[in-house]
Amino acid sequence: MPTDYDKGAYPEPPRQTPVVDKQTALPNPALILSKLFYYSVDLPVTTFRDVVDSIRSKNRPVYFHQKFRRVPDLTECHHGDYLCYYEAEMQWRRDYKVDQEIVKVVQERMRACHQREGSSYQQNCANEIQQFTEVTHNYQSRYGDLGAYASGRKCLMKQKERMIAAQAQTA
Amino acid sequence: MVGMSVLRSAAAFAARLSPLKSGNNAANLLSRAIPRTDKVAVRWCHGKKMFVIKPTDFYDRRFLRLLQFYILLTGIPVAVIVTCVNVFVGEAELVEAPEDYEPEHWEYYKHPITRWITWAFYDSPVKDYEKMMAAIQIEKEKADMRLTQLEVRRQMRSKGDGPWFQVETLNKELIDYSHKSNPDN
Repeated sequence: MPTDYDKGAYPEPPRQTPVVDKQTALPNPALILSKLFYYSVDLPVTTFRDVVDSIRSKNRPVYFHQKFRRVPDLTECHHGDYLCYYEAEMQWRRDYKVDQEIVKVVQERMRACHQREGSSYQQNCANEIQQFTEVTHNYQSRYGDLGAYASGRKCLMKQKERMIAAQAQTA
Repeated sequence: MVGMSVLRSAAAFAARLSPLKSGNNAANLLSRAIPRTDKVAVRWCHGKKMFVIKPTDFYDRRFLRLLQFYILLTGIPVAVIVTCVNVFVGEAELVEAPEDYEPEHWEYYKHPITRWITWAFYDSPVKDYEKMMAAIQIEKEKADMRLTQLEVRRQMRSKGDGPWFQVETLNKELIDYSHKSNPDN
């Protein structure tokens, strides 16, 4: 079976199975239906999957995550060193993709929390909501309106504008 | 004549109304057959065969038949191949790369068909990166050389002590000074 999700980030709600207190001699229709579902759907599907897995497990390929070395940034490149510019640009694009995925993961956690808590999500999920707002504000300030032709250079210029604005504000 | 046909049709009608009366059987009644509706053999098997007149659907059905044939001609092998790959060679599992091992560029993908395509047709991203870097290096060298050439032109034009912009002067030995050699000429 594939690895399970991170139980710490997506905690399961407490089980609410009621204590069985049977007062009639009649059969429980919920039990009958669940057994019916189990034998007609669950068991065939699980056995099929086990069969296919046993066929597959003989020659199972593996895959890895690609690790990239860090290269000097755009700020550390000499003027006119186009190779350095290219490497910095590629690194910036990889970091952009990683940041997009980070935002997606944090958003997914907040949505899962919302789904779990139901109508009392605003107080129970305060941590996730705060984390999400923080991450999205940071993303917006760093990569916000760069557009489709975003590049490391434009991002650096945006950072410069931010620093100028911050300095103007404090001064 | 008209009276005869009226009589005949009236007799047929009367026979129809009361078929059990002795004078009303088909054989002896004026050669006009009466419809014996009570003694007809009615079978409900296929019903009355109708010749339905409608515009031809030959071309439409032929088109759909050919469409089905040509789609399934490659569709079925592709479906069979993809099913076999998914059942017999499953998707890859994510593992930590060992310390000293550099995975090949196709070992970064999950599905076996994607892995095969990357293995068979595509260059590794490292090679593409290096190709791009080589192109940038060549263009950089060309640009640098052009800039230095412009600078050298400028210097040589202004100083005049370089090999460029030299104008060939005449050979001094060819000049004939004979008509100016004496002050009296």
